[in-house]
Amino acid sequence: MKFALVGVGGAGCRLVDRIMQVEQNSDRSFSGGNVLAYDTDKSIFETLDAVPLDRHVLVGDTHEALGSTGADGDIDQAAAVAQEDRDELHREFDKLDLHEMDAVFVAAGFGGGTGGGVGPVIVEALTAVSELPIYVLGVLPTTAEDATITVNAARSLQSFVTHGDNTLLFDNESWYDEERSLAEQYEELNELLAHRLLAVFAAGERQSADIAENRLDTSDVMRIMETGGVSTLGYAEIAVHNPTTLFQRLRALFYNGEEETTDAIRITQLVKAAANSELTLPCDRTSTERALVVLSGPPHLCSRKGFEKARQWLEQETETVVVLAGDEPRPTADDLRVAVLFSNVTTVPRIEELKESALTAIRDQS
Amino acid sequence: MKLATIGIGNAGTKILDRMLEFEYNTDRNLCRHALAINTARTDLAKPDFVPEDRRVLIGDTHQKAKGHGVGGDVEIGADVAKTDIEEIRRAFDDVEIHDVDAILVSAGLGGGTGSGAGPVVIDELQKMYDEPVYGLGVLPGKYEGGRPALNAARSLQSFVTNVDNFIAFDNDAWRMRDQTIEEGYEDMNRELATRIVTLLAAGEQDNTEVAENAMDSSDIMRTLDTGGVSSIGYASSKVDEEAGLIGKFRGDGQDFDDGATDAAKIKGLVRRAVNSRLTIPCEVSSADRALIVLSGPPETFARKGLESARQWLEQEADTVEVLAGDDPRDNAAELSAVVLLSNVTETPRIKELQSQAVDAQEKIKAQDAVREQEIEDLITDEDNELDPVI
Repeated sequence: MKFALVGVGGAGCRLVDRIMQVEQNSDRSFSGGNVLAYDTDKSIFETLDAVPLDRHVLVGDTHEALGSTGADGDIDQAAAVAQEDRDELHREFDKLDLHEMDAVFVAAGFGGGTGGGVGPVIVEALTAVSELPIYVLGVLPTTAEDATITVNAARSLQSFVTHGDNTLLFDNESWYDEERSLAEQYEELNELLAHRLLAVFAAGERQSADIAENRLDTSDVMRIMETGGVSTLGYAEIAVHNPTTLFQRLRALFYNGEEETTDAIRITQLVKAAANSELTLPCDRTSTERALVVLSGPPHLCSRKGFEKARQWLEQETETVVVLAGDEPRPTADDLRVAVLFSNVTTVPRIEELKESALTAIRDQS
Repeated sequence: MKLATIGIGNAGTKILDRMLEFEYNTDRNLCRHALAINTARTDLAKPDFVPEDRRVLIGDTHQKAKGHGVGGDVEIGADVAKTDIEEIRRAFDDVEIHDVDAILVSAGLGGGTGSGAGPVVIDELQKMYDEPVYGLGVLPGKYEGGRPALNAARSLQSFVTNVDNFIAFDNDAWRMRDQTIEEGYEDMNRELATRIVTLLAAGEQDNTEVAENAMDSSDIMRTLDTGGVSSIGYASSKVDEEAGLIGKFRGDGQDFDDGATDAAKIKGLVRRAVNSRLTIPCEVSSADRALIVLSGPPETFARKGLESARQWLEQEADTVEVLAGDDPRDNAAELSAVVLLSNVTETPRIKELQSQAVDAQEKIKAQDAVREQEIEDLITDEDNELDPVI
């Protein structure tokens, strides 16, 4: 699968930068460098390590309405500027090689002025110029942040979900450690999300990879995502003993003769652990419309029965009939990983809470 | 028999590949033409026995497929095949249809390509040729879930309506334990390949070693003539070389008991084949016609045995249309009996599959109906006080 990756605003650009780094440090291919980073604040670009200079796009620098530090949280202002500069924003899409892509991910923090304001404009523009699915990778703010940010997020969520083909969310509130400042944790949270994202969307995209038996094709992933709405990711991994030399194998056989009988159980348990793990956006799993599960690890440890049973379990658990499953063989890996994508989840307490807080903030203002 | 064979989709291609493998390993020559058709480029790289120039990628220009499969969507599978029908037809240009007795199309019915493109290809073949077109279809297991069941139940209708006979294989009945994903359905596909090739390859050596009682292609075709769904039973036993040798010495009639023993052995083998795990479990008595092929070294054949097995099956299947014949294979290591039960009408798994499919269809419809509203409810507040940004 080939994805173009577009970051909008500080949080979105940092996330894209992190995804690129994770991608470069792995042997997977996700964006292949097809990236763009949009912001209204020039200083953000200096914090990016992986996104090349020619992919930095400064939005609204000719507009007096925006100060030197950008939109400063004003999403309406940011959206208006982006609408005016639409043609310029469009022109940058040429760098993305969209004809070669399978889909686009637009990453944005929903609470920020630029992410929440310029983001939806870019998503809409991309859907207008391209037939590709345009997915959103969105970050929801914590409850500790300003009222403006909460209102921004609740409002931009509507626009992103309406204009994007599917909106994959990460909830900072659920994930950040209250003991430390959020800014300190951006890097690790982004890294965590990047790993999960690649586990699903770059499965089987390893260079010189073995062909998976149940390879997830792009069409499979598109099919799960085509529901629209809001989606979330679960993940679990476990270290395994994977002897790769003949000597190690013989020794393993000698010491762990009984291990094989547990392969099926281990796989089933790992899928359950992933599905029940803390999701990028916690939700009621039974409200899922479609799901996708990816198992990655040494092929001889990937029990088919265990995986089939796990898929069946997931179908019952999510009360849906569309659950696709795929595997990714990594012969020399010493871990098993499972990622689960829940597409179009409709019972999400965190979003209800966000809307409530936003309404309270609006009422307080007036 | 001589066949042109086509594997469609991932499962269909793998079955075809295993058929070619079995044929190669046992010196048979059933598949005179082999063609693999798929919508996923990566899957087309997998076969070991289907020649590279006999693999056709369809839908690579289709907006929703692009050479990456059809995502288990039977509608897209069918659409892709219709769009690329010219390309499929062209792939048949090199097929000398006069050289073959029939065409066999193998497909998995749970996915999108086999179930969707399969019937389209079959329809086209029926238009192009007078030769019968048989289907060899794999029904998904219950554990594979609602969506595959729905695909299969819908596709089964199209397959059975369009083919001259549909030989079914039930993944549920054949599910094996202790396998890795990598090994996949390899063993199951081998079992199926053994059965279908042993059955249909009988009578391929029309001129070489014509045994008195040899099975003829036309007998097989006549049995398949019923239409409907068919099931295959199979049993084999190792040919003990020493016993075979002794048997030959005794061929001069010195030992009167020997004929009876061989006959009993053959009858037992046929009974075992019928009572074994069938490719699709069914009520044997619901079969319309049946056929027995005994394949192995000719010296192990006993005519009396085959005749009494035939009579037994006549009773068992409750039909007078039971044909039986030999398929002499000089160097075979095994004596095998394969039984074709044609047009079996009582197959519990198909009923079960259909009800699973109805449930799935209702669930999908219900989800479709509320989707937009539920998304709307999720992202907006009741009084619409929150405005979207754009």
